[in-house]
Amino acid sequence: MSDTGKKPGSPNEEGAFWSIIGYLVSGLLIWGGGGLLLDKWLGTSFLGIGGLLLGVTSAIYLIWLRFIRD
Amino acid sequence: MTGTLAIVGFGLSTIGPGIATGLIFAAYINGLARQPEARGLLQPIAFLGFALAEALALFGLVLAFVLK
Amino acid sequence: MISQSATPTNPGFVPPGAKDFQFPPIWGDSIYLTKPVILIGLSVVIISSFLLAATRNKAVVPGRLQFAGEGVYTLVRNTLGRDVIGPEYLKFVPLLFSIFCFILVNNIFGIVPLIQFPTMSHIGFPVAVMIFSYVTYHYIGVEKHGLVKYLKDICFMPGIPKPVYLILTPVEILTYFVTRPLTLSLRLFANMFAGHLLLLVFAFGGEYLISSGLIMKVLGVFSFGMAVGLSFFELGIQCLQAYIFTLLSALYIAGALAEGH
Repeated sequence: MSDTGKKPGSPNEEGAFWSIIGYLVSGLLIWGGGGLLLDKWLGTSFLGIGGLLLGVTSAIYLIWLRFIRD
Repeated sequence: MTGTLAIVGFGLSTIGPGIATGLIFAAYINGLARQPEARGLLQPIAFLGFALAEALALFGLVLAFVLK
Repeated sequence: MISQSATPTNPGFVPPGAKDFQFPPIWGDSIYLTKPVILIGLSVVIISSFLLAATRNKAVVPGRLQFAGEGVYTLVRNTLGRDVIGPEYLKFVPLLFSIFCFILVNNIFGIVPLIQFPTMSHIGFPVAVMIFSYVTYHYIGVEKHGLVKYLKDICFMPGIPKPVYLILTPVEILTYFVTRPLTLSLRLFANMFAGHLLLLVFAFGGEYLISSGLIMKVLGVFSFGMAVGLSFFELGIQCLQAYIFTLLSALYIAGALAEGH
């Protein structure tokens, strides 16, 4: 059907780039944001930065699973 | 003129990831132009490098809003 | 902190800002009838009349108008529909074509003389267009796979140890239901807002410089020249953003249709 050699429906390149940004943003938002809110609540200071690192790590792991593993 | 210095810091912190993304895709396109059949090998590496560079830019964005 | 001395004769340069995106009501004091609303209506009239005129005298050898209409349609159908979505693409071409035309015309309003306002630089309009695409791709996914399997595919990637799901599943859910539509509409809005602001800075700055001293007049002319040059740069950005919005809508639909996303 398509003459560009791409498998239809497979994540092609443009889509992958936008998805990567989406995963990074949501990883930072949910874990980093959660950590920062816990920091505010409990009065600690390490949960925010730990959450940000956890968010980036989980987002990059997810990207690896989705686009790089196969 | 008023504003926060954090936004200036964010502006400075985007320079590095910007250059990094440019270098990654320059190398990727170069590699594809020389050897189109190496796409399957190069694409994951380009994605991973792009993700790492982009993560730094987003770190800058988050910290610009968080650190007051 | 940089403050400028202001005197009654020379009030100082007032930089453009978000206030330049607020328009007074056109008729009476109804806040629902302002310039962007008029422009949205105008864009619908322009697109409808263009497409009707392009398809009225259908010929095997297309005329100039028919050629232009077919060019846009072919671009959307082949590169955005067929190559991205795959075999079932024909069902989604009307949606993609409407989104593309609507955003393109409303963006290009930003550099048309006398209108000079990209409607999409008000956040409400990109959000409204995004809702169509958002509802469509989730509806298509649920219709094709069933609700339970669709949600399971989103939440659980196959082939990773069970405890890791605790960390990854919130990220996946947030990506599919919040970040994707948010970035889709924010990208268009931010590009149009920043582009219009950039043009305003050069136009206002040029106006201010021309009303000052002699050497400043030369710089003012240069500033106006920059504004004109950047308008053509903006034209490229505006077409690209319309294309990217449609491309991403097509990609999300393709992702919802695919097995296991």
